[in-house]
Amino acid sequence: MTTLWDIIHLLTETPLFFVAIGGLTWGILGGALPGISASITMALVLPFTYTMDPAQAIALLACVYIGAEYGGSIPAILIRTPGTNSSAATVIDGYEMNRQGRAGEALGISLMSGVVGSLFGLAMLILLTEPLSWLALAFTPPSYFGLGILGLSVIASMSGGSLIKGLAAATVGLMIATVGTDPISGVTRFTFDIPDLLGGIEPVLVMVGLFALTELMSQSGSSTVLQLNETIRIKLPSWSMMNKLKRSQTIGCILGLFEGLTPGGGGSIAAFMSYNEAKRWSKTPQSFGKGSEEGVAAPEAANNTVASTALIPLLSFGIPSSNSTAVLLGGLLMHGLIPGPRLFEQSAQVIDSIYVGSFIAIIAQIGVGMIILPACIWLVNRPRAYRAGFIFALILSGIFTLNNSLFDLGIALALGLVGYLMRIAGFPVLPMILGVVLGHMVESSYRRSLVLSGGEHMIFLQDPIAVCLLSIALIFVVFSLSREFRDARKTKIEEAHS
Amino acid sequence: MYKDLISGVVLLAVSGTYYAWSSQIADSTLSDEVGATGLPRVLSVILAILAVLLIGRAMLLRRARTATAAADADEGDAGLPRAIGFLLLGAVYVFVLPFIGYVAGTALLIGAVALYEGAPRHWVVVAAAVGGAVFYWAIFVKLLGVHQPVGTLFQGMF
Repeated sequence: MTTLWDIIHLLTETPLFFVAIGGLTWGILGGALPGISASITMALVLPFTYTMDPAQAIALLACVYIGAEYGGSIPAILIRTPGTNSSAATVIDGYEMNRQGRAGEALGISLMSGVVGSLFGLAMLILLTEPLSWLALAFTPPSYFGLGILGLSVIASMSGGSLIKGLAAATVGLMIATVGTDPISGVTRFTFDIPDLLGGIEPVLVMVGLFALTELMSQSGSSTVLQLNETIRIKLPSWSMMNKLKRSQTIGCILGLFEGLTPGGGGSIAAFMSYNEAKRWSKTPQSFGKGSEEGVAAPEAANNTVASTALIPLLSFGIPSSNSTAVLLGGLLMHGLIPGPRLFEQSAQVIDSIYVGSFIAIIAQIGVGMIILPACIWLVNRPRAYRAGFIFALILSGIFTLNNSLFDLGIALALGLVGYLMRIAGFPVLPMILGVVLGHMVESSYRRSLVLSGGEHMIFLQDPIAVCLLSIALIFVVFSLSREFRDARKTKIEEAHS
Repeated sequence: MYKDLISGVVLLAVSGTYYAWSSQIADSTLSDEVGATGLPRVLSVILAILAVLLIGRAMLLRRARTATAAADADEGDAGLPRAIGFLLLGAVYVFVLPFIGYVAGTALLIGAVALYEGAPRHWVVVAAAVGGAVFYWAIFVKLLGVHQPVGTLFQGMF
């Protein structure tokens, strides 16, 4: 149990303070770069965390996530190009305010609404995560198997309209997870006498390859030129303005909480839903789309809330509900930390560091956000050719840091190609990452369960937690399948009419 | 649909290859009932089923949309050769790194990528490449204490 003393100790602990500020700064810079999503920003920093203290490493990643969610709104407001997917809804009224010469005001509203959303999300994270994880104290190998399957069932809602492709990507991810030493018998699988493969393919390589390298390859040859006005400065909203924004921020917070807890929800859905609801409940709905302050506040409060609440299912049960939380899960696994009750029992320091680091980052966001804006504008204005060179070198240097292995670089480059081909063919990458990160847990808990039961599969139906988790997974899959069939039928009808 | 058809065939080939490799996994006396080959075999069967479903769906949709067949045939990605070229720069970097070392290798990578991405041939490219390499060397080697390759050509200098 975390005591007040633990919190005070962590708050005053110098490295965590700098880690939080560093993560926040990196997140804002990365999020501000169009095309570099929150998950890519996190994936870029992931290799650096390898040599860090686990508690600080995870806190750093959580702070990067917070920073990236705010950073994404900067180009959304200034050049009508969302830096991250979840800031797409901010474009509507943020850019309109910019056109009216109110860019500083829009950036200020975005920043403060983000802080409100993040604080609410953090409070929910602290209140809900630990109680939920108590449930996991009763977990047995069959329960862990159910949990793994529940995690994989997220694939159904993240397959981007093609369940077959999502399942195929996940299967390939599970295949990658089988490379290395077998968890039960210890024999080697698919290692081809290559010593570097004995420990398997690290999830971080898959993430960096599929997210960051694929994105760089996709942007190659792009002639898009972005130019931001370098004189813009943030203007924080007054108390009366904050009072006016109360309703839209509350809507953003509530929907952000709901979407953060829902697998496949994510910041973008929360942001668009909040925008719609804020418009519906607004006293001046006619101003939406014409530079409404509430139209900026609602989506920003929502996507920043998600940055914290998406950690609730991740830390309690190890279920990543978005790309960014999948990267965070990769970070946890890289440091040998298994989400769930054991994390709270054995590595309470990690949990405390996430809470305290996030709190520092959220509060510091106001100052850092104002100070760093000129740097963000400078970075976005750099020629893309140089930016690509620097990012590519950073990625490869970071990967080498993991194991001082050139082989790892080769694996990551190969996965970059795989990710690019998947993108061309319309395969979602997140299911593949889920397969890689959850594969080991699913296989080992399944086989341990069978060892315990003497080969009887009934063990999975005798464990109440496993039954419950498998049922939820089934509901997710059925719900996603019905949605896919419904969408397909709708498209067919629309095509027939046209 | 053309892409789905190709994807399905590729996945089928991956599934077959993976199954063949899984049969080469050694037996162990410590093995449980499922064994080290259990999951790989199940996965290869699942992937094969999904690949067949993908191929089947692509063929059905292709037949249904004969009118747009010509358009389908044109489906492709013009950026693929360019993206592969970009990736090859990384592959060359990995290959030369043990010989020329981290600083020179990184400078070459930054410069090559900048030129490949359309930066004008100007001294700025060289300055950015060298400056960037030294900056990363300072961060990784000096600040983080990571041992990046020194390179057989420059051994003893760093």
